[in-house]
This record gives sequence, C-alpha cells and structure tokens, in this order.
Amino acid sequence: MTVTISKKIKKQQKKAELAKQAAKKLAKRHRQEKNFRRIGLAAVLMGMLFLVILFTDIISKGYTAFMQTQIQLTIDFDSNRIAKNIAKNKETDGETLYNGNYRKLVSDALYAKFPDVTKRKDKKLLRSIISTSAQYYLRDLAVTKIDTDSRANDSNDLQRNIAIGSGKSAADAESPSAVQYQINSQYVGQKQDIWVIADDLFDMFHKGFYTAEGAESERLIKDNYVTWYNKLLAEGNIRTVFNFDFFTNTDSTNAELAGIWGAMKGSFYVLLVTLLLSFPIGVGAAIYLEEFAPKNRWTDLIEVNINNLAAVPSIVFGLLGLAVFLNFFGLPRSAPIVGGIVLSLMTLPTIIISSRASLKSVPPSIKDAALGVGASKMQTITHHTLPLALPGMLTGTIIGMAQALGETAPLLMIGMIAFVMSVPTGIFDNATVMPVQIFLWSDLPARGFMVKTSAAIMVLLAFLITMNAIAVILRKRFERRW
Amino acid sequence: MTSNTQQENDHQSIAARMINNENFKTIGDISAKKPRMVCKNVNVHYGDFHAIKNLSIEIGKNEVVAFIGPSGCGKSTFLRTLNRMNDTIDICKVSGSIELDGVNIYDKSIDVVELRANVGMVFQKPNPFPKSIYENVIYGAKIHGLVKSKADMDELVEKSLRKASLWSEVKDQLHKPGTGLSGGQQQRLCIARAIAISPEIILMDEPCSALDPISTAKIEELISELQQNYTIVIVTHSMQQAARVSNRTAYFHLGKLVEVGNTDDIFNIPKHKLTEDYITGRFG
Repeated sequence: MTVTISKKIKKQQKKAELAKQAAKKLAKRHRQEKNFRRIGLAAVLMGMLFLVILFTDIISKGYTAFMQTQIQLTIDFDSNRIAKNIAKNKETDGETLYNGNYRKLVSDALYAKFPDVTKRKDKKLLRSIISTSAQYYLRDLAVTKIDTDSRANDSNDLQRNIAIGSGKSAADAESPSAVQYQINSQYVGQKQDIWVIADDLFDMFHKGFYTAEGAESERLIKDNYVTWYNKLLAEGNIRTVFNFDFFTNTDSTNAELAGIWGAMKGSFYVLLVTLLLSFPIGVGAAIYLEEFAPKNRWTDLIEVNINNLAAVPSIVFGLLGLAVFLNFFGLPRSAPIVGGIVLSLMTLPTIIISSRASLKSVPPSIKDAALGVGASKMQTITHHTLPLALPGMLTGTIIGMAQALGETAPLLMIGMIAFVMSVPTGIFDNATVMPVQIFLWSDLPARGFMVKTSAAIMVLLAFLITMNAIAVILRKRFERRW
Repeated sequence: MTSNTQQENDHQSIAARMINNENFKTIGDISAKKPRMVCKNVNVHYGDFHAIKNLSIEIGKNEVVAFIGPSGCGKSTFLRTLNRMNDTIDICKVSGSIELDGVNIYDKSIDVVELRANVGMVFQKPNPFPKSIYENVIYGAKIHGLVKSKADMDELVEKSLRKASLWSEVKDQLHKPGTGLSGGQQQRLCIARAIAISPEIILMDEPCSALDPISTAKIEELISELQQNYTIVIVTHSMQQAARVSNRTAYFHLGKLVEVGNTDDIFNIPKHKLTEDYITGRFG
C-alpha cells in the first residue's frame, strides 16, 4: 500500500517537475521574443533620432539661406554722376549711360547716409556692406537693354543669303546695332529709395551667425560696422525677403549671390540623359535575360556580373567615363551628356535587377494563358508580362534615378566639378549638378556658403523624397492583384 | 497495419516491374474511330528524367478522352506536349511524332502560334488575364486577326460566353475585371477564352481541381455540350469525373500508358492489374 502511494506521489512529483520545466522553457521563449522586440524597437528609435538630428542640423543651418537681407539706400540717379561727358546725341545716350559707373552711385549713397565716415580705410569697409551686384541692379533699373540680337541675326542671315543669291554685295555689313537701350525716366534724373542686396558678411551678421563680442582686433565684425548696422536697423533700412535669387542664380564667388538654378538644370539634363539611356536598355536587358536568353553557364555568369556591377564603387565608373567617353570618343568635358552616360552605366544594374525581379513575379499562369490562346512569345511579353511588371520596373528606375541624382564621385572624374557660372541650355553645355554644387560650396570658407550648402542639401533632399514618394505612389496605384 | 502497407508496397513494386519491362505494350486499343491526333512513340525528357516513355495513342474526332493516373505519372506532361506548351521549358526534349491531321506538330515548319490556335488549352488553376471579361474572351481572336469590327467582337464574345454557359451570369458586367469572378466562373471564362479562337481540340488540365462541386458539375455539363463541336482531352484526378464525361479513358503510370479503352470497359473490366488497383482506390 505505502509503496503504491509513494509511487503515486513520485509520479505526481515527476509531473509537477515536468510542468515546471515546461513553464520555464515557455518563459524563456517569451523572454527571447520580448528581447528581440526590444532590440528592434531600440534600433528603430536610434535611427529616428539620427534622422531628427540630421534634419534639425541641416534645417537650422540652412533655412536662413532662403531669406535675403536687403539694405535701403537713397540713390541719386544723376546722369552726370553715372557717366561723364554724356553725349548730346540722344541715340547713343542710352549706351553711354548703360556703361556708366553705377558703383559710384552706391558709394555716394552710402557716404551721404554716413557723412561722418571720412577715413579711406573706413570708407572701403563701408562700401563693402553692399553686394557687388547692386551696381548691375541699379544699371538695369536705369537703362533697359533690349537685346534683339538673336532675332536680328536670323533675319540678317536671311537677308544676306538673299543678297548673295541676287549677286549684290553684302550691303548690310553696317546694319544698325541690334541692341537698343531704353532710358527709364522714372529713375534717371530722380532720387529714389532702392532696396539693394547686402553683402554676405552683413547678411550673416544680420542673421546672427557673427557676434560683436570680445576684442575688436580678434573679430571679423568691427565696431564701426556694428554702429552702421545699428543705424540702418534703427532707421528701418534693413529688411529680409524671400531669396528668389537662390533659385534663379547660378554659382558665384559671392556667397550672397550664389544660387542653385544652374546646378538644378544641370541635374535635370544629366538625369534626362540617364533616364533615356538606362530605362530602355535596362528593361530590354531584363526582358532578354529573363524571357529569351537560354539558361546556361554564360547567362549565369552574366547574372553574377550584373549583381557585382551594382556593387562597384561609383568612382570607377567615373574613371571609365574619363578613359572611354572623354579620351577615346572625345565627348565634351563637364557636359551633361557624359555625366548622363556614366550615371546610366551606374544605374543600369539597379534597373536590370529590379526589372528582372518584377518580371519574375508575374505569375507563370498568366504567361501560360497567353501562350495557350496562341500568343507569340513577344506578344505574351508586350501584352501581359510587361504591363504587369511595369510598376515594379518603374519603382526600380525611380530609385536608380534618385541614386543617380545624389551621385558625386563619378562626375568629379569627368570634369563636372568645374565652376560654372552659366546656366546650361543643352546636354552639351558645361554644367554642374546639385550634389557636386553642395560639395563645392561645402569646401568654401565663407559663412554664407556654409548656409547655402545646407540649403542646397535641403533642396536635394526635397527632390529625393519627392522621387521616392512618386515611386511608392506608382507601386500602390498600378499594383494589380490576381 | 505495418505489414499491410508492406504488402501493398510489394504489390506495387511487382506491378511497377510489370510495366518497367522494355517490351511492355499498352493494353487495349489505342486507335480511334476518326483519328485527328496520332501520337507515335512519344518520349519526353526533362533533362535526365524520362517523363514519358514510348507512348502511342490516337485521339479521335468529337470524342472526350480522359487521362487518369497517380500524381507524377506524366499525364499533364503529355497533355502539354499536344500543343507544345512544353516548349517554354528549356530542359524539356520531345521525340517521336505527334500528328495533327497528318502533320507532325514538332516539324520545324510548324508555327507554334497557329498550332495553339487549333489546339486550345484550359489550365488547372483558373488564370484569366487581369483585364475585363470582354478583353479576356476577345484577346485570342484579336491577336489572330479573326475579328475586325466592333460588332464582330461583340458577337464573338456573346457566342463564346454562351457556349461556356457564362453569358447569363456576366452579360451585365462584361467590362469588369475577369479576376473578380468566382473560381468556377473564372474557369468557365477560361473555357470561353479557349473556344473564342475556335480551336479543333481543347486540352483541359484538371479543370475542376480548384472548384467546388457545383461549379464542377457545371463544367462537366459544359464538356458534354462542347463535345458536339470539339475534341476534348481532359486530365483528371477524379475517376468519377472521368467516368461521367469521357468516351475513352487512358491510364498512365510512371510515364507509361498502361491501358486505354472505352471508358465503360476501363471502369468495369480493367485488364491490367495497375489499372484495377487505381480505379478501385487501392493507391493513387
């Protein structure tokens, strides 16, 4: 009897032991799950934190670049001040006036505002608070230059051709000047209050990037500079407006004038070339490899190499561009055409890989169905496979384009790092692109450029985010379910 | 229990040995009354795997031939060789001759597109295109240039859908996506799509395996109706279905055609041991 009872107890104990162990194991499993979840959450939070820091840094540094400091001056548009010996001839008056000395107007206005500045050194400093662009601004206000050049040239050529054709000598060699000058009487001869752009240092001081603390000899902002600033501020002669110039100007050596329009247009042309080259070639290659190419060792090798190509450092593509397109084919240096070709080489693997993946994801039953009703292989692809795979292909392409938009290294090798002051008008013009512009500005010592760097990064990020958003929307819109 | 399965395994291996003999010949009459498709000594290889072994069969006009057999016996593979759907598989090699009205369909001069217009196919899983019902039906006719005007197209769509007994259900939603229909309707849509190009032979690869009994009944009814105008080859896992719809039945085992004959004979007086085992449900 006792034996059986003890056996029973033992059995129960064993059972309890087992249950305990099971509970322990279960707890361990739950713990593991919980820990993993915690680590994941921590990683996500960490990433968000970095993102927030990055954005706060860029935005706090860069947002002021979207504002422009202007100073109001009372400008005396006295024609004798602008240009001595104004010709009596009314016809040439405009041209003389146009080529006059507008810098003097600015200086005179400044001296009039601050009559107590007499020392040569101080005068020079005083002059420096206004941007050098002010004189051109005033010139354009006073005299409007009407450039009928291009139109006139065309008609001249036509006339010349007609003249040659009819055997006449080219009589229009001394044709009237194509450029006309129109004097604006609401400025010339008047005294006007004009807002002109402030110099970079003044701008930065106004925005609080410099302080006037500590010993005078050790700081950039001198005491009289502060005095002038305070006077201008007190009399309401300083204002900040939205900086349209940042979006319409090209690069400049003056920080207050430097804009991003040239780089934006350069980026546009480069991306245009990249898209036109890499999308058709990439999609075509993907279709061939996925649907037509025989599956053997060679195609395997090609596939491996395409995957490897996606991992090649981008500067290598730049070297290739330099060696092949510039030196061998003799294409123009720093032109969007070469940049586009190089970047399409770089984006091709991305596009091919994503296109192949999306082709693969089209259910074979659809292909079977098309083949089953007697569609040829090409018809099956163009009517069914391609439309179904297109959203995925477009997503890959846009992501590849975004990658290309942000690429700097290969473009350095083909000379797109040049200081370009003109806005490119075609794919063969000299140009630079946004990331290179950022790189160039980040290298410059002036405070204004530091701010512009951040601002340009913001613009670039805005473009990247927009492009990625488009990719997501496309995927969502055109995704088909079956 | 264990010994029972053992016994069964032995039993099967003996049966398998019976057909693995090089000199094995298909039991029953392989010829049809009015032969349309004549297959002689067909062999199919997937790389090293010998999927169809020396198979000969005739398929006659306006008859329904059912292919039955356990999984992996090669019946679907053989069905796909009949309209060269196996061409899409690189490693698949077909030898022997398959003649459609006296022309070898594996001849170099044969255009696969034309062949598939003559030999339509309905697949195991309903696979309508992710387009409208109308587009689904008209697609094949369009690419073959069978229809020109809008009126022709409308007529063909209606005719095909009526033949597939789907018209009354979808006539008001022809421009809705075909993928939005129920499984059975989708399969009938696929049949409508196949008959829209007026093929002579329709191959059906387990057309009811993904359908509920009611849809299955509808499709079976449809097959009986279609028989008047078309030749139908159907692969099925359901022996009842084979018995209900087919005139002749062919039993496949491990890539060989074991027995072929009138459906009634096969199901009532099977001659080969393997056939008997299969239709009595001993294995499969």
